Amino acid sequence: MSLPDEPERRGFSRRAFIKGASVAAVTSAGVAAANLAQAPQEPKSFAIGEHEVELKINGQQRKLKVETRTTLLDALRDRLDLTGAKKICDRGACGGCTVHVDGHAVNSCMMLAIDAIGSEVTTIESLTQGEQVHPLVQNFATCDAMQCGFCTPGMVMSSLACLQRRGKPTREQVQHDLSGNICRCGTYGRIFEAVERTAEGATK
Amino acid sequence: MKPFTYILPRSLPEAATAAARKGAQLKAAGIDLIDRMKERIETPSEVVNLLSLKGELSYIKSERDSGLRIGALTTLNDLELDAALGAAQFGALREAAGRTATPLVRNRATIVGNLLQVTRCWYLRSAAFGCLHGKKGPACLAMTGENRYHSVMGYFDCVRVHPSNLAPALLALDAEFTSQLGDRQSRRKLSELFPKEARAMLAEHTLLPGEIVTAIHVPAQPANARSAYRESREKLSFDWATTACAARIVVEGGKIRTATLVLGAVAPVPMPMPEAAKLLIGEAPSDELFQKVANAAYQSAVPLSQNVYKVQVGKAVVRETLHAITR
Repeated sequence: MSLPDEPERRGFSRRAFIKGASVAAVTSAGVAAANLAQAPQEPKSFAIGEHEVELKINGQQRKLKVETRTTLLDALRDRLDLTGAKKICDRGACGGCTVHVDGHAVNSCMMLAIDAIGSEVTTIESLTQGEQVHPLVQNFATCDAMQCGFCTPGMVMSSLACLQRRGKPTREQVQHDLSGNICRCGTYGRIFEAVERTAEGATK
Repeated sequence: MKPFTYILPRSLPEAATAAARKGAQLKAAGIDLIDRMKERIETPSEVVNLLSLKGELSYIKSERDSGLRIGALTTLNDLELDAALGAAQFGALREAAGRTATPLVRNRATIVGNLLQVTRCWYLRSAAFGCLHGKKGPACLAMTGENRYHSVMGYFDCVRVHPSNLAPALLALDAEFTSQLGDRQSRRKLSELFPKEARAMLAEHTLLPGEIVTAIHVPAQPANARSAYRESREKLSFDWATTACAARIVVEGGKIRTATLVLGAVAPVPMPMPEAAKLLIGEAPSDELFQKVANAAYQSAVPLSQNVYKVQVGKAVVRETLHAITR
């Protein structure tokens, strides 16, 4: 269901919001928040309806329209045509929608798109540049680590987070880090092999 | 989800003012809230996003007395991995955080969000049913219905269970919390966050409208204290406990000197078990002793039609927790 865009957004403009977001970023960098306490009474807000926002996705600033209730997953798939992340359970239980937000693997279905403003979002699409594919993706193919392939984008993104964090993970660590991703075809063994091959530096 | 206005407070007082408005709902990561909003069980007109205060409210600080101060927006992943929680005394908290849901959820879910998540009772969480606790029906539907994951003790007119696995761990460590209401701050025992009598018509926490939990305090633990958290569940990942136990023990000269014991997932609130813990004092750790303690912890259990298993499994989890600390 889409709602009509409000002609004038009450008490909010995108410029004002972006200013606010950059202040928040400074605060998180450790600068004292004391001066923020004297801010005017009305906090910034997004009214009901669509808003044009900017998200940083795969290193690029992308402009898109989202509602306050749009999840990051829906924004990626329906607004930006980045359909690699899959909508399977839509409740954070399957991992099909896994993307990285500020370097952490997360369920994009359980996150509002507007909560991603100011963050770096990385999706499965970033692992393929033309004919060039990331070694992890290549190893998923080499190990035949999929049957229906629906869980694969999420599996790859969780595997990538595991490799980025641990370098050379043990089998137990791979299992731990992938425990939020479900493969109904049961190709787990080959997925673990693909992650381990990548850690060992295999590219073919 | 129904449409809502999204509010970005720039300070705690601003967040508190916004949250006190009728129809407003505080959100941290939103893992539980967005779930309920998608089911249309929760339809706030305004969502106050606390994540805009992450810079202020996400931290784990070691206090001078070796206690911990943990910001309300600290993620479970941070709790699992932070070196400050590496000591044996904080084992229960580290283990509870590391077992919650999935790594993908733990990367966003916050410590206070875990404590304040709404019960997983399937009647309450389904728009198709109306129950007393949800204020949409005359009675608790689980009491006489499908109740295999529900309470075995501590219930009155609603048999939901408290879903947080951090709560038993934090209670075993004598944790406290700081909250902000308007411009007033107060610090209370964590046990006061939960209602004394978990009646159906009462909220699952004791916070006032607009009151925001800002920090959790884990005080300095007794010298040589060790703690652990164990739970039973049906799946190894993305599941809530069927029974849980957290305990903290000091052993000196082969004898247990102090002990705390808290049960989780068996009652509408986390259940400290001081009488059962007392049986440990002055005794040498042994399986026989731990069995006695487990029996005492579940002595008051009155299981429902489908959850008799919880008593037996729960006792095993108590024993396993105590063994984990003392071996």
